[in-house]
Amino acid sequence: MTPTTYAALFAVGLVVLIAAFMIFSAYNAVIALQQRTDKAWANIDVALKQRFDQLPALVSAVRGLMAFEQGVLTEVTRARAAYAPTQPVPAQAAVSEQTSAAVRTLFATVERYPDIKSAENVASLQAEIERLEGIIADRRELYNDQVYRYNTRIRQSPTNLLASFFGWKPRDFFRATVADTVRPDVSLGSGEPA
Amino acid sequence: MDLTFIPSVAALTGGGVVAGLAMLARGMGGYGTATRIGDTATSTITSLAAGEVRVSGVVEAAEVTLVSLLQSTICVHYKSTVDTSERSGMEGGLSEERAVGFRVRDSSGTIRVFPREARIDSPLRFDDHTGTLGDEPMGLAIRVGEVFRGAEDDRTAAAELLRVRVSGGSGASLFSGPTGRRVYKEYRLEPGDAVTIVGRALPFGDLDDPTGSDMGTGTDVSLGGDPEIAADLDAARTAGLLKDTPEDAWGNAAIPGFGIGRPVRAPELDPDARPLPVATAEEAAHAERTFEIAPETLVLASSTDVPLLIAYGSPGAAVDRERGRFRLGLFGAILAVASAMGFAIMLGGGLGS
Repeated sequence: MTPTTYAALFAVGLVVLIAAFMIFSAYNAVIALQQRTDKAWANIDVALKQRFDQLPALVSAVRGLMAFEQGVLTEVTRARAAYAPTQPVPAQAAVSEQTSAAVRTLFATVERYPDIKSAENVASLQAEIERLEGIIADRRELYNDQVYRYNTRIRQSPTNLLASFFGWKPRDFFRATVADTVRPDVSLGSGEPA
Repeated sequence: MDLTFIPSVAALTGGGVVAGLAMLARGMGGYGTATRIGDTATSTITSLAAGEVRVSGVVEAAEVTLVSLLQSTICVHYKSTVDTSERSGMEGGLSEERAVGFRVRDSSGTIRVFPREARIDSPLRFDDHTGTLGDEPMGLAIRVGEVFRGAEDDRTAAAELLRVRVSGGSGASLFSGPTGRRVYKEYRLEPGDAVTIVGRALPFGDLDDPTGSDMGTGTDVSLGGDPEIAADLDAARTAGLLKDTPEDAWGNAAIPGFGIGRPVRAPELDPDARPLPVATAEEAAHAERTFEIAPETLVLASSTDVPLLIAYGSPGAAVDRERGRFRLGLFGAILAVASAMGFAIMLGGGLGS
């Protein structure tokens, strides 16, 4: 072989090296994205579970003092009971939104009862659940952002070729529903403030 | 087959191959970094969960800041290099890099960053060289005092921005010879800079060695990394000479606020001494917030599986910069191939005829 042939082989080798690097990088990037998406979902799940655990305490704290607002409390209890961590993401998102809406309605109703609102245990439970609601909203945003990046990546070239080979599928968003944008209905319940 | 060898062409093309491959390797690193930054969604600080995260915000000084080597500027990280010619008074130039812990603030809150073992991509703030007569460049203000400085309040920091610096006066103290060309470069990350950080969020109590979380390397670094000091510390720990708690070691001085305000609890004083007023609850909370970090507080630090990356600018700017390095790496590959072809043509006699 002539020196020029060696140089040509060097050039081909370099091109192959760069192509292999790009393929391995794309594969590793998708795996990392899957891991980040799973972690983002797990972090939402932790917050959902914490809210699930906190809600009975809040309902118990206000139940005796809100005798005329049983409908509001029942709605919170019903939404909480629908929590099912093994369900697909969209179903959990729907339940989460219903729970958030019921909690917002409960908080709005509590505003009409100064005695209840000023009770120390109610105030602290309310603050904790509001904190969890904020965390859930932030982490939902993070999860959806991560899913967006993952879905975009596996549809882009050349990763889409790897996606078809390895069977990578787009993930579901933790999608906000219309209920998330509806103002809480504070007229629920027929009673007057105690 | 006869081979032709021309030393100057061989050196030129060989250098081209090596430089091109080096650029390619650096570009591949940049591609990996760009992917890592770009594929991680930004978390808000208040809703941060433990694990790998990306945070974007503004640098705030914590308790201590640094004074940079070449421009004496308050910062949280600097990397200063002085490249010298053979005629200057320094052998092999000078390189010094330091970083101290700082906070990052976004719209929701702040988080502490411990930069030890981090890869810090700070902007180049100073790039100049000596003049033809050996005169020092404008803007050079070699540090003459302590490298560490207590964090200043906002008003002092604002006053610092208005201060006029006299440059070039103290440069001779570092470099013995007036002859030769010196090239000064300083990369710095300063309070107020936008920054993007990808790393691991973990509880402060899980840090292996919180007291050793700063970073310092280079020719003028006296803290850390010295085997004699490390051996002395180990011996002192073994002999029980190092106390377990700050209270055991420092007594009243370990009480937050003691000596620099109001102590958060009553100190143990000589009965004849005038007792100090104890801080109010609000003052005590402020003092403890300033100097104490609760074990469960999340901080950003480096770990073996998730290295800490601190990049200047917004996430988009950081990604663009790294992609630029990758494009430069591809150019390096072309350079390497062209140089190899040139080398081959030389060997084949194409350049000698």
